Amino acid sequence: MIQTISILPGVTLRCFRDDRFKQNSLSLQFVRPMQKDEVAMNALLPAVLLRGCQSAPDLRAITLRLDDLYGGAVGAQVRRVGDYQTTGLSCSFMKDQFALSEDQIFAPMLAFLQELMFHPLLVDGAFSKEYVESEKRNLISAIAAQRNDKRAYAGAQMIRRMCKNDSFGIPRLGEIEDVEAITAEGLYAHYQKVLRESPVHIFYVGQRQPEEIAQLLKPAFASLDRNPILLPEQTGYHISDPSDEEEVMDVAQGKLSMGLYTPITLRDAAFVPMQIFNTLFGGGMTCKLFMTIREQMSLCYDISSSYHGSKGIVTVAAGIDHDKAALVRQEIIRQLQACQQGDFTEEELRSAKEALLSQLRSTHDSPGAIEGYYATAALSGLPLSPEDYMERVEKTTAQQVADAAKTLQLHTVYFVRGEG
Amino acid sequence: MEKIFYPEVGETLWREKLPCGLEVQVLPRPGFTKKLCYFVTDYGAIHREFTMDGVSYNAPAGVAHYLEHKLFDMPGRDITGEFAALGAIPNAFTSYDMTAYYFSCTENFTQNLRLLLEFVTTPYFTPESVAKEQGIIDQEIGMNEDNPDNRLFELLVQTMYREHPIRTPILGTRQSIAQITPEVLSACHRAFYRPENMILCVVGDVEPEEVAAIAQQMLSDAPHPEVTYLRSWQEPVQTEQKLVSERMEVSMPMFQLAFKSEPVGRGEDAVRRELVADLAAEALFGESSQLYLQMYDDGLIDASFGGGFETIEGMAMLIASGDSRRPEAVRDAVLREAARIAEEGIEESDFLRMKRSALGRRIRGLDSFESTCFRICAYYFAKYDYFRLPALYRQIGREDIRQFLQQTVTQDSLCLAVIYPNEEETI
Repeated sequence: MIQTISILPGVTLRCFRDDRFKQNSLSLQFVRPMQKDEVAMNALLPAVLLRGCQSAPDLRAITLRLDDLYGGAVGAQVRRVGDYQTTGLSCSFMKDQFALSEDQIFAPMLAFLQELMFHPLLVDGAFSKEYVESEKRNLISAIAAQRNDKRAYAGAQMIRRMCKNDSFGIPRLGEIEDVEAITAEGLYAHYQKVLRESPVHIFYVGQRQPEEIAQLLKPAFASLDRNPILLPEQTGYHISDPSDEEEVMDVAQGKLSMGLYTPITLRDAAFVPMQIFNTLFGGGMTCKLFMTIREQMSLCYDISSSYHGSKGIVTVAAGIDHDKAALVRQEIIRQLQACQQGDFTEEELRSAKEALLSQLRSTHDSPGAIEGYYATAALSGLPLSPEDYMERVEKTTAQQVADAAKTLQLHTVYFVRGEG
Repeated sequence: MEKIFYPEVGETLWREKLPCGLEVQVLPRPGFTKKLCYFVTDYGAIHREFTMDGVSYNAPAGVAHYLEHKLFDMPGRDITGEFAALGAIPNAFTSYDMTAYYFSCTENFTQNLRLLLEFVTTPYFTPESVAKEQGIIDQEIGMNEDNPDNRLFELLVQTMYREHPIRTPILGTRQSIAQITPEVLSACHRAFYRPENMILCVVGDVEPEEVAAIAQQMLSDAPHPEVTYLRSWQEPVQTEQKLVSERMEVSMPMFQLAFKSEPVGRGEDAVRRELVADLAAEALFGESSQLYLQMYDDGLIDASFGGGFETIEGMAMLIASGDSRRPEAVRDAVLREAARIAEEGIEESDFLRMKRSALGRRIRGLDSFESTCFRICAYYFAKYDYFRLPALYRQIGREDIRQFLQQTVTQDSLCLAVIYPNEEETI
């Protein structure tokens, strides 16, 4: 279903042709290694690009152009994919057929996206200081605001400790002091480096021909002085010293976060059993953690686990009463051990498989899910199409799930406790 | 079934009012594997006073949400597990003015549909299970108390409104939910889960006639109780207290600035007023407005800023929210800009562009099963047909926008709520 075209060396276009949607979606991603010294710049870059280009030099001019294109949307896209970080822009916009009279949207929108990406507003040969400073403030606020969501905060603190020796421990938006240190000149130099050396991944969902899109995008890349680098291969989890900490905050509900690791990543054959384990353990509505700790024991409002397949990390998060932490931790471990010993019913296994299958079957039902699956698979090294993936899920046995669970080791715990 | 084609949005909707009173609407989506099904009642957290067969009830706050949780219980069965075994993900939510139960699936659609209709129409409440739920909802209330956005909205509406039940949180309070008994839940279920008070809506590649047939078969034609419920409140448009604030563990001051407006009611005029208000919000402080750029450049607001027109049964308000170190300066700038637009009006070309943009975003939104299904239901209760919106946009003129801002965005009707960081907190 995916057509891949190499527009130029290091510039890959992937297209999912589909006429069921009322819109077109396109994302333009520059791929970087996830590194502490540039993560904040990669996070900041698209925000600055979206402040103004030469033909639309401020926010209002940009919005007016987009409004003219029937409310087309352009957004910053910054993602962590294993050891890589992507930075770039994405857009979605209505199909021409719904426009009034003969208005065109497709070609003008792609042209505008390229103006934003390649022709930013420049002042004295660099980005506008005003825009850079203002977007730095936004990014700093966003980093600081992560404290507002205490569940996410506890999770971030846990990962920071568990991944001291791994790129996964680098915060996605960088640290406040990294952002503060960025200058308009420095960011512009970084931007030029990104344009010159980064592999580019473009993803399109819609009814247009791949060749048509390649033709519209090629001139911009051809005019750049490109020398694409080879990215290092993706790696699994790099271990560090374990930790077990508590922080006291003014909160009504305690937030518990636990981190476990496994050698199994999405590049391994045991990935699918591991994913099924996670769904059965803490990923779905009928999972063990939810059914026992919330439904049977009423110890928490929410509890869930996630498997980060690009790294081989499983995290557990729970919102609990302050004095129940020891009890909840003990029960989480007990449920893990049950999975490791194959102590789950045929029905639990079936439910977990069905939940995964249902999610995979509907991958092709939304432009966002399509882009999310294929663009991430290409970068993270997941060798399975949704169809192959589903076939593996069907074939996985209870023993394989238990074997995958056995590889998990508890590593780090972080608990945000209330003062009361 | 009636089949209606809407060429402007490229959609075909099937609909039927069943003999039992239930409205069924199906939007077929050939070529998609996902099926989404909503079963919704025109009943939410604010509907607490009602009469049923001549008897008056005044239910404790939080009962609609409590009922939503408890309906998943069936004697000796695990409903979520049964859905899961059929590959479906069931869920539910309670808002101020509606309660929705839904599932999405890719296979076993008709079995899942039967299960949904069955569990929502089968009340089963035991004293033990009702008591146990209190612990879970207590935790949910605790989680909300830690959520600054949530707390801010509560602060705002408690300050702005005197009579409207939006003053009480959807979940209720720890005290109010302690008063909920199996009897209270049963009475509310009988009163509000009558088929004529509900809609069943499906989006996906399904057979519309089959959906209607299953619903007709599963739901009882037996006579239902006579129910009337309180749906409007005497509420002045003026606000008494204009400013309210609190401290919490947040990184930066957060604000919500609102202007009280007349409730819109139901029907075409109501929906038209909503669209006018949305466009007015866009003209006043949307991303394409002069004010937005000015405030952004002055550092008064950041990317977290946004707003629009909120309508809940019996109330409506224009609201803007975001993070700002100077929320009072944002308030003053919004008032000044509204006065300027009320004076000068907006350019015809700007107005047409705004309408084009709003229409384009609505059409793109149809790609989302969730938002489309939700809107079909919400607009059904508002007594308007969602897919006729493009025609309604054509009727709106720029003078409507000017008038709306002149009437609504005034010192008389405003309230500003702020949550400041705890004092010892530094960034």
